[in-house]
Amino acid sequence: MGSAVVADRIQFAFTVMFHYLFPIATIGLAPFIAWFAWRAARGDDEVARGASVFWTKIFAINFAVGVVTGIPMEFAFGTNWAPFSAKAGAVIGQPLAMEGVYAFFLESVFLGIMLYGRRRVSPRLYAWSATLVGIGSWLSGFFIVATDAWMQHPVGYRMASDGSIRLVDIGALLFSPFAWWQYAHVLVGALVAGSFIVAGVGAYYLLAERNIEDGRRYVRLGVLVALVASALVIFPTGDRNSADVTKYQPVKLAAMEGLFHSTNGAPLAIIGMPDTQRRELIDPVVVPDVLSFLAYGNFTANVKGLTEYADTLWPPVALTYYAYHVMVGLGTIFIAVAALAVLLLWRGRLTSFRPLLWVLMLAMPFPYIANEAGWVVSEVGRQPWVIYGVMRTADAASTNVAAGETIFTLIGYVGMYFLLGLLFMLLVLREIGLGPNVATHATQEAEV
Amino acid sequence: MNIAAFALLATTIAIYVVLDGYDLGVATVAPLVARGAAQRAAAMESIGPFWNGNEVWLIAAGGLLFALFPRAYASAFSGFYLPFTVVLWLLMFRGISLELRNHLASDLWRGFWDTAFTGASALLAVLFGVALGNLVRGLPLGANGYFLGRFAFLLNPYALGVGIFALLALAQHGLAFLTLRTDGELAERSRRLLARLWWGVLLLYCATTLASLDLRSGTTAEAPMRLAPMVVLSLVALGAVHWFTRSGKPGPAFAASSLFLASLVLAAAITMYPYLLPAFPAGSGGIDVTNAGTGALGTARTLALTLPGLAAVVAYSIFVLRRMRGDPKSTSAR
Repeated sequence: MGSAVVADRIQFAFTVMFHYLFPIATIGLAPFIAWFAWRAARGDDEVARGASVFWTKIFAINFAVGVVTGIPMEFAFGTNWAPFSAKAGAVIGQPLAMEGVYAFFLESVFLGIMLYGRRRVSPRLYAWSATLVGIGSWLSGFFIVATDAWMQHPVGYRMASDGSIRLVDIGALLFSPFAWWQYAHVLVGALVAGSFIVAGVGAYYLLAERNIEDGRRYVRLGVLVALVASALVIFPTGDRNSADVTKYQPVKLAAMEGLFHSTNGAPLAIIGMPDTQRRELIDPVVVPDVLSFLAYGNFTANVKGLTEYADTLWPPVALTYYAYHVMVGLGTIFIAVAALAVLLLWRGRLTSFRPLLWVLMLAMPFPYIANEAGWVVSEVGRQPWVIYGVMRTADAASTNVAAGETIFTLIGYVGMYFLLGLLFMLLVLREIGLGPNVATHATQEAEV
Repeated sequence: MNIAAFALLATTIAIYVVLDGYDLGVATVAPLVARGAAQRAAAMESIGPFWNGNEVWLIAAGGLLFALFPRAYASAFSGFYLPFTVVLWLLMFRGISLELRNHLASDLWRGFWDTAFTGASALLAVLFGVALGNLVRGLPLGANGYFLGRFAFLLNPYALGVGIFALLALAQHGLAFLTLRTDGELAERSRRLLARLWWGVLLLYCATTLASLDLRSGTTAEAPMRLAPMVVLSLVALGAVHWFTRSGKPGPAFAASSLFLASLVLAAAITMYPYLLPAFPAGSGGIDVTNAGTGALGTARTLALTLPGLAAVVAYSIFVLRRMRGDPKSTSAR
């Protein structure tokens, strides 16, 4: 690890992947909290009232860790990627500043009402606060994805005479179709995670035979949303994302699919190990012609393989390939699990069928893995570019920060985040252990 | 246009210092004024609902610096790589320690996190002061605008003096906040300590102001003139802190302390303008609003896109504060 850019990349990957665990939960849980808060505002739905308080606590722990791990991300562009910031700051600073101003404040200010003002404001204002917190977290995601989408597919810019990039058309950046499809995909991905968390916690209560009423509601609502969201992940959002990658980043597509040689009627690899030395997929299990169909809507279309391009333009093939297959494989399993659960729900047997409750409970971590794997495909697959076709990652790292310094701070982050992760698990598991009924009861006592 | 952008950035930072300043100040002075578990909890809960929202102003300032002056953002944070990373770690540490203390009802657990909270916050106050001191003093910059010095360069007597001053000024701010937002013994002890600490703030204010004038005197002849109104404002505000504390009016005392902090940030900004990162020694140029900016059009667009949002933030923050007003003791913290 002698080179500074390698250390910078490892540090960014580690800190951003750890950070993203928490936005997954806040983006995914926000609609559930708003739903429960509005139900509670309507009348005496005790389960919904308990749920809105309980899930807000889980949300708040995620939000707090998300904020503290998000601050280093906002400044990482300046600390570790100074040439990139100097060159592209006029463009990407724009959506990042808007995130702070339009999304982050909304989230944090109204979360204050939810955590500290439940007894001081009307149930309607409480429900509005839950809605605004949700809008804040969704907007926040939009500005971040819009920033990333511009780096994937730069639009609306020109090069200035001093070598920096100037934004010509902010509308092109904010309303880029590439950004909107990517954003939709990210949102429903987080919603899959949120719905599996809600269903999973409910399944735990049913299996443990406590908070039965709450557990039933969580499982029912969770699996319904999970089915819709996991279907939307594949179609249309995942499909449109693939189409954009096919069109604008064909090398990434080839790496994702492990396709080394251009093929008419390219097969879709289900299993197989890409080998960049031998330039082939080892022991593949493939479905013939399907990749051509997925990419171009035509079973005989020609799909370009990696060998069409100089290998200096290849992303890390194995990582891109495996991350993509983990994401797609898990996404398929989510649909199957959610569909089975909804079928049982329809037959009225879901909340008493213990094997599936076990599956739902143990499924909770996997949407996180799928979401993270998706980002690995997107970001690792973009290499060697930091701004696609415009600036290479190798030219983007700070030249005045030595590899040794970055390794030192990386070690610090690893230690800090290990501690943070342990404490996060401790707190969330404790809240789940207390459950919605104990939680509302205790809060009432504290507030009286 | 550049002046408006610079002013917006300075104002955002001033708001951050005023708001998060009382969080840091309360944390710093809590072990001195809060006796026993109940008072410690009251001190922590007085800032519990607000620190997260206050910290967002730092994020907003970072985002604005990035959008308005990307080259300054790039140079400053890569140049200050290690100290800035330490600041980030401390910000994380103080955030989690405040959030975590209430989750387990154990004296050992709370005692540990309270100590961590105080230590991280006090160190942050000093480091923010050291950073500001170095910005005013200037930094050795290379031809491409990147910071060339080492860590040790930042630890000069002037900057360290500003660091100690920042610690005391934020402690004063925290005491004014505690006097206002708590009651009984805790508020009274805060008020008494505030009356005594004030003399230290006054002394260090005079010392740092004279040192700052001396630092810049050889270069910009008009700097003392530009600064004069801010010095008057700072002195009036500082005097008002003393006056209102003595006469038992905690609300105006806190407002005066806020004004004092804001005037310090604005005075530093006026001293530095048009530079964002003045070069050391003073007078040898640096990164300024023109060479760090994104052109008149880019700057105008950023202002047009962010100002309405900031106005809305101020409006709904006030709305929420009014709705949440009431006895801070009844605040339920989890």
